[in-house]
Amino acid sequence: MGKIYQFIDQRLDLTPLLRKIADHPVPDHANPLKTRSAFIYCFGGISFLVILMQILTGAFLMLYYVPSPDHAYASVSYIKNEVAFGGFVSNLHRVGASAAVLMVFLHMLRVFFTKSYKNPRELNWVAGVFLLFIVMGLGFTGYLLPWDQKAYWATTVGLNILEGVPLAGGFLADALRGGSEVGMLTLTRFFVIHVMFLPGLLILFLAAHFFMVRRQGISHPL
Amino acid sequence: MSVNKTSSSVDPGKNSYPFYPNHMFMEALVAFGALLVLALLALLWQMPLEEIADPSDSAYVPRPEWYFLFLFQLLKYFKGSFIVVGTVVVPALATLFLLLWPFLDRGEETRLSKRPRSLALGVFAILSIVALTMLAVVEDSDLHMDLPPIQEQQLAEGEDLFNRFCVLCHSMHGKGGFMAPDLTQVGARVNRVYIERVIITPQIVSQTTIMSKVPLSDEERHAISAFLARKK
Repeated sequence: MGKIYQFIDQRLDLTPLLRKIADHPVPDHANPLKTRSAFIYCFGGISFLVILMQILTGAFLMLYYVPSPDHAYASVSYIKNEVAFGGFVSNLHRVGASAAVLMVFLHMLRVFFTKSYKNPRELNWVAGVFLLFIVMGLGFTGYLLPWDQKAYWATTVGLNILEGVPLAGGFLADALRGGSEVGMLTLTRFFVIHVMFLPGLLILFLAAHFFMVRRQGISHPL
Repeated sequence: MSVNKTSSSVDPGKNSYPFYPNHMFMEALVAFGALLVLALLALLWQMPLEEIADPSDSAYVPRPEWYFLFLFQLLKYFKGSFIVVGTVVVPALATLFLLLWPFLDRGEETRLSKRPRSLALGVFAILSIVALTMLAVVEDSDLHMDLPPIQEQQLAEGEDLFNRFCVLCHSMHGKGGFMAPDLTQVGARVNRVYIERVIITPQIVSQTTIMSKVPLSDEERHAISAFLARKK
């Protein structure tokens, strides 16, 4: 191990980089061993963990999932009933979606009540709000994919609500739906938004979020 | 430059401890625990597929995922042309408030006891979301299906229908089939709406249920649910 690391380090000079990532102090008020209430500082990290799990379980589900009205339901049913551990992975993805929303929300409450958003961290709060909306958008688009009754009708109702919004609502609803009714185009659009556009945005905003945390350090309560 | 000055990251040493390996170890422990909880939930909290989407079945009453329920509930309070208040005005204002909040609340004080207005706002937001979600759940479980009230002659009809169809698999008071759960006290366990829903979509109980859809008219189904709901 050491030799391999030396070989790479001599060529790429990794050590200063790793130092930068790993060698930073964590204040006692965020250390559960010293401060009992420090557990409230863990929600952000758990959100990230759940998001990683969603990406991984989602990738495995994509191995079998077919985004077309003719096959979506059958492929999900196949995942749940036939694929080895498929039922578990799809359940994990479903539970993970709820956990992600809940953890991001708790993380936001922690930041709000400790006023960690104050100068100089305003921009990181804004990035966090975007992350919350992205996670909720992932929840909404993912709900349609199994193509069962609940999926179909919940999406129909959701898009009808959007349609009623003055000015841009009709256009947005049509663009998402790909027609006047929820159908094949809706399913492929929601699928691509769910597995490409929103995850891409999610990763971008997460990178910005973490960059700012490391640049500015964990906020100090008075 | 100004970043390092204004950021109040602490000095290494006295009031802090190193990220690696101390904090990292703890994070690994917490992550392991969180994954364990998620795996247990995934095992215990099964979320079965319902029937395949049927675009012609507009009688289906859909529900969004629980974290959208508060928004959904909000819409119920704005009728007619006021609907935009629920679909646009309130959500847009809330979003704007969220995004701009650090620029609106500029004080240096971080202690919650010295920020009564922030505290009130935060608690108000949490309570509204929780209350709206709970209202949605309550209205869902009881009010959503508008069932005609139970009439006495329905009970006899319900019993008759029950003895024609349901007893082939279900049992009651020791009589009937053994393929499906005993329904002697079903009314004590679940409410009438739930019974209706199971008759309409047996799969809501379990995806692999062998219960078949029985061809019943609405009146007949109401009669059976009335009969069963009284079996407490």
